[in-house]
Amino acid sequence: MIEISGLAKKFKVENPKKLSEQDKKDPRLEGRFFHSVKNVSLRCDKGEVLALLGPNGAGKTTTLRLLSTALQADAGSMLINGIDVIKDPVSARKKIGFLSGTTGLYGRLTGRENIAYFGRLNGMSEQQIEERIAIIADKLDMHSFLDRRSENFSTGMKQKTSIARAVIHSPAVVVLDEPTTGLDIMAAKTVIDFINDLKSQSVPVIFSTHHLEEVTELCDRVTVIDYGETSFDGTLEAFKALSTQGLHASFMASLKQGVAV
Amino acid sequence: MWLVFKKEILELLRDRKTLFFMVALPIVVFPLLFGGAIYFTSQAMSEAQTKTLSYAIVGKQFAPDLVSEFKTVENLDLKELPVGTDTEEQLKAAVKNGSFDFIIAIPENYSANIENSGQIVFKIYLNDAELNSVQSRLSQIIDTFEMQYQREAFARLGMDETQQKTLLDPMIIEKVNVADEREKVGAMIGGMIPYILFLLCLQGAMLPAADIGAGEKERGTLETLLLSPISRTDIVMGKFLTIATAGGVSALVTVLSMAIWSVILSQGMAISFVSNFMASIGLLDVALVFLMLVPIVSMFAAILLSLSIYARSYKEAQGYMTPLVFVVIVPVIIAAVPGIELKGIWAWIPLTNVALAIKELIKGTMDYLQLFAIFGSSVIIAGALIAFCVYWFKQEKVLFR
Repeated sequence: MIEISGLAKKFKVENPKKLSEQDKKDPRLEGRFFHSVKNVSLRCDKGEVLALLGPNGAGKTTTLRLLSTALQADAGSMLINGIDVIKDPVSARKKIGFLSGTTGLYGRLTGRENIAYFGRLNGMSEQQIEERIAIIADKLDMHSFLDRRSENFSTGMKQKTSIARAVIHSPAVVVLDEPTTGLDIMAAKTVIDFINDLKSQSVPVIFSTHHLEEVTELCDRVTVIDYGETSFDGTLEAFKALSTQGLHASFMASLKQGVAV
Repeated sequence: MWLVFKKEILELLRDRKTLFFMVALPIVVFPLLFGGAIYFTSQAMSEAQTKTLSYAIVGKQFAPDLVSEFKTVENLDLKELPVGTDTEEQLKAAVKNGSFDFIIAIPENYSANIENSGQIVFKIYLNDAELNSVQSRLSQIIDTFEMQYQREAFARLGMDETQQKTLLDPMIIEKVNVADEREKVGAMIGGMIPYILFLLCLQGAMLPAADIGAGEKERGTLETLLLSPISRTDIVMGKFLTIATAGGVSALVTVLSMAIWSVILSQGMAISFVSNFMASIGLLDVALVFLMLVPIVSMFAAILLSLSIYARSYKEAQGYMTPLVFVVIVPVIIAAVPGIELKGIWAWIPLTNVALAIKELIKGTMDYLQLFAIFGSSVIIAGALIAFCVYWFKQEKVLFR
């Protein structure tokens, strides 16, 4: 289970004069600090898939980076299966599998070596790694390219390898930052199938996306972040109910309402 | 830390570009370049010595004996000057337009009786920008005549051998060099060795540093690595060790390669010279040289990694790193300044102290007590730079610029 409450993160603006006019008008800008995340709360239980929605720059990636411990929070709390992410980030990392559309692979390593490296970093034995790679490679149909250097992989191969790397240690929760952005249809389908598979194993998944059709296909819950704050947090049904004119209208309504359901 | 180190080394060994700069360049390319340069230079020199040169003589009538001697010299082709080539400008033009390689003008006062002739000045018109060794070829003949005329003059003046010697060189300085062969050679090459070693360490570390810091950021693998359950200190130390190893190995490979190739290329006499010199240095001193390079390589690796982590891209990292070469050269140049010795404050100045110590070790005049100051200051500074690098790697504003 993932539980985030009152999460906040601000960044110092190195050169305020260089900010665009739009950025200068952003209510999150206070003096020399930009409050990227001001007050985000969400909850994702076992077996649930939660979609993190919001306009560009709303604070989705920062929220996921905070959850994955890449960044340190200024305020709030984050719990993963009862482990305090802020106080014990190393233990928390063992529980998380993280994937984003922009994370890369080590090009001079083979697919297998890329995956195994992260298995070792997670404290797995060589035997455990081999067994786990065999299972994941079967599931994602990776055997044909597993022992080739990843620098020449197609987008789909890269994405499958990234997925395998993210789940090599059988994480308790999976966090995905816009995992289908920039992918072709086949590669995107791999990600969707992967999320469905995790769901069937009762692994809680949080993923940010701009594709509303993915939300209806996969999600149980929706959290909308706007200007660094949670403007909606509830079930998919409640999200749909925000408007009778489709998901896009619901999304727009969630931005305006700023209420938790 | 070792997991990160092992993986970085594996990637490094699979990178053709890095391998080329670290291994192929010092083992094959450098020796080929140096060997080629030496070969072609010696070929050109030998050709210049043996090339047939066409020349003319003005004032033959004043020195028939000398002219006869010129005619006997191999590879000198005496030609007649075209009629009407008399003035200095015409003589210069004749050489400049390639009609002659040189023209020698014998003065009117030429005489075997030098007491009466006064100083005899030969003028040679030649294009000195070309490699032709005209002067050395002519000097051989003129010097012989000069010595003969001197002897005859002294005989006429009734001087014995001792008086002649004294008159020619009334005062001379005789050096009694107490330096042994090692100290002499060490003084000659001792200043260059740290310069080469420092630059090799830096150059060898630069490419891996740019790749495993900024390169990893650019490829999007750094964020994934940061999310693995090992501490950031372990990550940065693994990367630091990789860069330091690359720098050290690069220097070691190059030095070994140059030593082996110099023995192979020099052959004959130089083999005993090289082996005698190497034997006189001793293994302990060689080991000390490389031991002192450990904190130096650590300093370089920590600075390079800090710069690389800060950079947004591989290219930006290279831009930050390149000026470091000049920063490294300055302390080595200071160490080469005459009068600066390995004592007092200089034993505590980082880089300069190691450069001075390497020179002293090679010369065999090392004051081993200074090693405390050298290692003390180098280790403290290297430690501080590594600590900064670890701190730097933990800064969000650096990692997520």
